[in-house]
Amino acid sequence: MRDSKTMHTDPPYFPTSDDLHAWVDGQLPSDRAQAVADWLQHHPVEAEKVATWRAQRLGLQALGKSTLDEPVPLPMQHTVLPVRTAWPWLQSLAACLLLALGFTGGWTLRPTATQLVGAPTISPVFVREAIAAHAVYVPEKRHAVEVGAQEQEHLVQWLSKRLGKPLKAPVLTDEGWSLVGGRLLAGEAGQPRALFMYETTSGERITLHVSALPDSGSATAPLPTTLAPNPGQSAFQFARANGIETFYWVEGPFGYALSGKLARAQMAMLADRIYPQLSH
Amino acid sequence: MGPEGTLPHIPRLRRYARLLTGDAARADDLVQDTLERACRKWSLWRPSPDGQGLRGWLLSIMHNHFLNQIRDQLSERDLVELDDSNQPVYDPFLHTPARLDLQQALAQLPALHREVVLLVCVEELTYAEAAQVLGVPTGTVMSRLSRGRESLRSLMEGAPTGAQPEQALHLKRVK
Repeated sequence: MRDSKTMHTDPPYFPTSDDLHAWVDGQLPSDRAQAVADWLQHHPVEAEKVATWRAQRLGLQALGKSTLDEPVPLPMQHTVLPVRTAWPWLQSLAACLLLALGFTGGWTLRPTATQLVGAPTISPVFVREAIAAHAVYVPEKRHAVEVGAQEQEHLVQWLSKRLGKPLKAPVLTDEGWSLVGGRLLAGEAGQPRALFMYETTSGERITLHVSALPDSGSATAPLPTTLAPNPGQSAFQFARANGIETFYWVEGPFGYALSGKLARAQMAMLADRIYPQLSH
Repeated sequence: MGPEGTLPHIPRLRRYARLLTGDAARADDLVQDTLERACRKWSLWRPSPDGQGLRGWLLSIMHNHFLNQIRDQLSERDLVELDDSNQPVYDPFLHTPARLDLQQALAQLPALHREVVLLVCVEELTYAEAAQVLGVPTGTVMSRLSRGRESLRSLMEGAPTGAQPEQALHLKRVK
């Protein structure tokens, strides 16, 4: 089996059992793979066995596929991402109040916004969710989204229905970003969240994470509407974790978080493009 | 990169653990334990240039933890037998049908064979990577893979493979 360099028929080629496995698993160099394929044509018993292995392989992959689309459980997120308080709702409430009072280093976008002091010490919970979702799904090649952009209308309807409020997927084609699609996620307390993913032709990706926040007047944190940035003078909050830049803001019933591994100025530009499309 | 670098790997770890244990809750416990160990031992992890390093490291932590769980359940002699017989490690199916579907057949495999089959077929590791994760020579990976695949085939075709399911159940009960 070692002298595979020859392509003549004179020294008959007998693949070993390991060769057959490696053939099924795509772990043979192409010339050996071809030799095995030729050999199998004349050995129906082994060919059938190998076909069974291949079917097992595909079947096992299919069995595990749905797990990949499930959101990462919160205890796992909390294990690998630092959590600052034991009570997420309290953290969220505190963050909202602090934001409203302007204590958290909120800043106003200026053309020369370069020297940003990093994230506020406490980000709203939905921002941490957004960062986690970005980190988990952006590297995915085959399972990045649940519903692709080709079914955009269905995607937006579905996510709107699950979040209980009409959503929009912003258009960023002029900026060079096309919609990949979206997925439904679970928030820290199991609330539905929407995630839209965009990419450039060179494969860079950003995500827009949308959370339906509790209505004002409900038992939970009353959300100050003054958090919404003014179109002329967009004030976004900013967080950075694990190399991921996140711009977030609250508009109407939604908390939005735009995440990407881009230069901050570029993220700010995109957030500026997205904001007016989502205001009501 | 800190432990948060494990985030992108979690969906795949969960998939692997779920197929390995056949039980969603037990699988998530296994992943959770793996992540906690990884965080504690984070300083021991050395990034490798191919980018696969972290995933392999997490898989090997999971493998060691999984093995400890099995050791707790079985005696040393049984553990040796895991590799030599087809005695199932766990058997959620009281009435073993003559022909099993793939998931049931997978559950019947010895744990060490199941690991290799899943690492190669689902996680798509190379044989060398699987050997590294499991801490065994590549030859061992090949023999476990070969026997795992043949057992799956026999189980799904309804043919007896070594120890009969009834016998295996009996052995378990006697223990």
